[in-house]
Amino acid sequence: MAHIPDGVLSAPVLIGGGIVAAAGIAMALRKMDETAIPRTAILSAVFFTVSLIVIPVGPSSIHPLLSALMGLIIGVLTTPAVLIALILQLLLFGFGGVTSLGVNTVNIAFPGIVLALLFGPVIARSSPVRAGMYAGICAGLAVVGTGALVSLALVLSSSAYVPSAKILLATYIPLMIGEGLVTGFAVAFIMRVEPELLAGARKREV
Amino acid sequence: MQRLILFLILIFAATSTSAHNFKVFATIEDGDVTGYAFFVGGGRPHGAIIIIQDTASNELYRGTTDDAGIFSWRPAQPADLTVVANAGDGHVATTRISRERFPSASSTSVEITHNAAAPPNTVLSSEKQTTGTAACVPEDIEQLVGEAVARQVQPLLEAYAQAEDRTKLTDVVGGIGMIFGLAGIAMWAFSRRRVNDSTR
Repeated sequence: MAHIPDGVLSAPVLIGGGIVAAAGIAMALRKMDETAIPRTAILSAVFFTVSLIVIPVGPSSIHPLLSALMGLIIGVLTTPAVLIALILQLLLFGFGGVTSLGVNTVNIAFPGIVLALLFGPVIARSSPVRAGMYAGICAGLAVVGTGALVSLALVLSSSAYVPSAKILLATYIPLMIGEGLVTGFAVAFIMRVEPELLAGARKREV
Repeated sequence: MQRLILFLILIFAATSTSAHNFKVFATIEDGDVTGYAFFVGGGRPHGAIIIIQDTASNELYRGTTDDAGIFSWRPAQPADLTVVANAGDGHVATTRISRERFPSASSTSVEITHNAAAPPNTVLSSEKQTTGTAACVPEDIEQLVGEAVARQVQPLLEAYAQAEDRTKLTDVVGGIGMIFGLAGIAMWAFSRRRVNDSTR
């Protein structure tokens, strides 16, 4: 699904994904400051651990991504957080692929970052309950974004691995709902306890 | 502090799970290529596409898995085969079957010494040379032994395929430790830059 292994995608897609991921990393490194590192490390570890939780769904199975939550808390630093976690998953579990690291990083991190940028200001301004609702919607859309990018990568590569729309819908809709719920509750909790955790709230103060 | 607790809960949740590697297991039973596609840690896809190819990537068979993720096909003759499973959402797995795993057809008697499935019995093969005719008994024994060995070994192969990629708590903790180690190095690098800047 979101962890595409080696040998599935074509070379142009892999190279393009690598370039885009490298650009994302460069942008993140420029914006990184010392205080952001612990947050980034914790979220990277959470992503690393959580995507090991497998839930069988019909013909396939899904695993949580939490990319929207990461985007809401650390913004563009989601890219290196995801990349490092993906590298470790590859080394320790053989999960994913070496050549597809760039593409996988883009597919997982970018929808979370973009949607968090869009929703962040609104979430930071709202009450905890509403913030949770918006965050849930944001997370659902991030899952859609990841699914769309994964399908795009497969379609651009060859016709042999084009996922059937039916199966995609069957697996991504439960994931949307699950992620929406988890992210919504997490953000509502954060807004009540420590709003400065959210990147949107921090930007407002600056 | 609450973050830490939440985080620890997630770690323990992950101890009983596995990375969802998609794999396919195939074996030979009475000349049929049979097996199943599965996700490591649980879950069998039903309706996944199975393609069996020869060494030249020609497609010999295309079918789907049943509700238990199982497929079965009888090839016309023993050959080196590649089994490809496609779950339809980007999950793809392959495995290979070599022709030696097929039960050898009782064609020529010389094959006894070449077949790796059963250790050649020197008494029987010399007996064969003296009689000069293709005796049924050694080949039957060989086939029976081959089938018995395959029966005993198959659960092992299955268990190995399932266990190969199972995630272990040690690996999860190792990965988390690595992440924090990298974070520590990054913070050290930042602070050195800060010190250098301030002393300049």
